[in-house]
Amino acid sequence: MFHRVRQLIPVFAAVLFAAGSATAAGTGDVKTGKLVYQRYCLSCHGAEGNGQGEAAEYMSVKPRDYRQGTYKWRSTPSGSLPLDSDLEHTLLNGLHGTYMPTWRALDERSRRDVIAYIKTFSPRFATEKPQDPIVIPPDPGYSDASVTRGAAVYKKYNCAQCHGPGGQGDGPSAHELKDDWGNPIVPYDLTKGHVKCGDKSTDIYRVFMTGLAGTPMPTFADSMSSTDAWDLAHFIQSLSPGYAKNMMTTAADRTTRGAQ
Amino acid sequence: MTRRGSLRAMLQLAVFAIVMFVFVSPASAIPAFARKYSLRCTACHESWPVLNDFGRNFRDNGYQLRLGKDDTVTAEPGYWPVAVHVLPAYQYTKVTNQPTDQGTKTIGSGGVTDASIDLLMAGVLTPNISFLVVPTGFASDGNVHLESYWAYFSRVIQNSDWFNIRAGQFEIDLPASSHRNLELTDSYLLYSYHPSVPGGANIAGYDMGENQRGVEIVGHDRDSQARYTLTVFSAHDSQGSAHGLNSPSFYGHLQKYFRFSDGPVSQAEVGLWGAVANYPTQFLTSGGTPIPGSGSRLQSSTRYGMEANVWLGPLVAPLHLDLVYGHGSDKKELFQSTADRAGTFNGGFLEAIWVPPTNLLHWSVFGRYDMIRNQNQPLVATPSNYNDQDQWTLGMKYTIAYSIRDEVAFHAEISSRKAKGVGDAGLDQRTDNILFGVDFVY
Repeated sequence: MFHRVRQLIPVFAAVLFAAGSATAAGTGDVKTGKLVYQRYCLSCHGAEGNGQGEAAEYMSVKPRDYRQGTYKWRSTPSGSLPLDSDLEHTLLNGLHGTYMPTWRALDERSRRDVIAYIKTFSPRFATEKPQDPIVIPPDPGYSDASVTRGAAVYKKYNCAQCHGPGGQGDGPSAHELKDDWGNPIVPYDLTKGHVKCGDKSTDIYRVFMTGLAGTPMPTFADSMSSTDAWDLAHFIQSLSPGYAKNMMTTAADRTTRGAQ
Repeated sequence: MTRRGSLRAMLQLAVFAIVMFVFVSPASAIPAFARKYSLRCTACHESWPVLNDFGRNFRDNGYQLRLGKDDTVTAEPGYWPVAVHVLPAYQYTKVTNQPTDQGTKTIGSGGVTDASIDLLMAGVLTPNISFLVVPTGFASDGNVHLESYWAYFSRVIQNSDWFNIRAGQFEIDLPASSHRNLELTDSYLLYSYHPSVPGGANIAGYDMGENQRGVEIVGHDRDSQARYTLTVFSAHDSQGSAHGLNSPSFYGHLQKYFRFSDGPVSQAEVGLWGAVANYPTQFLTSGGTPIPGSGSRLQSSTRYGMEANVWLGPLVAPLHLDLVYGHGSDKKELFQSTADRAGTFNGGFLEAIWVPPTNLLHWSVFGRYDMIRNQNQPLVATPSNYNDQDQWTLGMKYTIAYSIRDEVAFHAEISSRKAKGVGDAGLDQRTDNILFGVDFVY
């Protein structure tokens, strides 16, 4: 028998080689994606993709309702559908402070398949195409001067109305906010150590320019200069000692939020 | 009843039971982690309790998702880190060629098993320090013991995933977990087998699949696609030696996973493993009885081997094949002066788990073939194939219902093991099992 086991080793190696030689990237398979969704996503987002899974009622931050095709984290302008890479960004990084974990441990094929399936919940994906991603100019760099200017921008755009004067999510309007589905929503506490959509300065900059669709967080693309946006991003990073050191890292460098 | 007739009756009973259980109404119930993170069992388990990639990474990270909601302070107030696991089951076992006063007989008996309860208590004490405590028992004998108890320190050095420490009583990181396998009527022969002298004893009797007491260093990459473990433990059945550890033992395991974004193979894994358990062979005595803890002259029981796993089809609903091979050697001195030489053997198993791609992934089908082939019998005069063993298992599991708070499943399984020459008068002995049970955890 053990002679046979030894004979199987080259067969096993050949299978690996054959499989490895066919690694061309393809599009996601909706049918398999449904199974991935059922295995990992259904308990929160629901069988109908309406964000009303069995766990939803116990959550303070409600799971996303996929049916409208509106997504908080996008690289595309306000009102646009997200790119597949945007959805994968959320799968890879999770949303810190919520129940959405990082699904980095899933294989690329599963992520691709579930993205294809999630898109079937909204008819928009069948009739619209995502707009091009916004252009993010180079980060001029984190500095004390930029942080000081950012504090002024924070004041100028009245961020404290929701996020509070210290960024703790305790502004005067904090308890009156609701999302597009009528659920109470709390402004993010920016001093927690991690920003929900990414700690990198480009992640924070992007939020100002795209807004967080479905929430009261608007886009400032038409009113905020890129200089102001960078300063504000640096100010937000400064609210927690962890941000500055994360500033120059890339998303690919991080296992999860909290990994640094 | 002939063997063929008996098998036919078992299969008919299995089909009947499957039909009955498929149509029962769904039930519901709170595994600690599912409740804590609002994820269903399927998120971490290929088929409960076998871990999938996400579950393996979660375990390696010290049961943390690292979303700012892991420890007892930041978790939701309703979270209580306790789950209960019970398996009421009917089991029939038949063993051939047993010695009785009436001659060599086959004895078969069955009944509802005296079910015990596992209290699974696990969680995160503070970021990067997690724990598991499992009292088990509560059956009719009233006994309860701690199956597991350990603390796990994550990212001990420079916040790196490559250095984590577990201390306590735990299952060593075997190629296939003995505590997380689907089969209920048998165990992995490779882990438990020891060469023996007919009618004699082997001091080394530990089952690698049983939980051991010691310290384990665990390292892994970000996604647990490359892993290592190094364990120092005291083999659980030692009488005790006059050393720092009763039975100083060491285990190591190295694994690497490969993923393929297209093609029939979605993932593969290869690994190497090895264990050396050292047992005392001489004792001080009192009235002729060995004094525990006085042992000396340590002699080794060695196991080492390799493993290969392949996942065919999508990882979400794969056909998972696990091939493990090992070589074992128990030193001559472990046979208490009755042996001519060290006992050596080769063994292994091929296990298959298939999760059919059906709606909500309710089904899993599993099977395993185990084999032991002795190489050198400790006694030269012993037939070379004495206690060679073959074992096969087939089973299915239908998850009647699962949620973020419970899982209840119907489990049906048959298994058979044949051991050469260990029955009465040197006959082969066959052990057959059939089991139907309802496995639930809440």
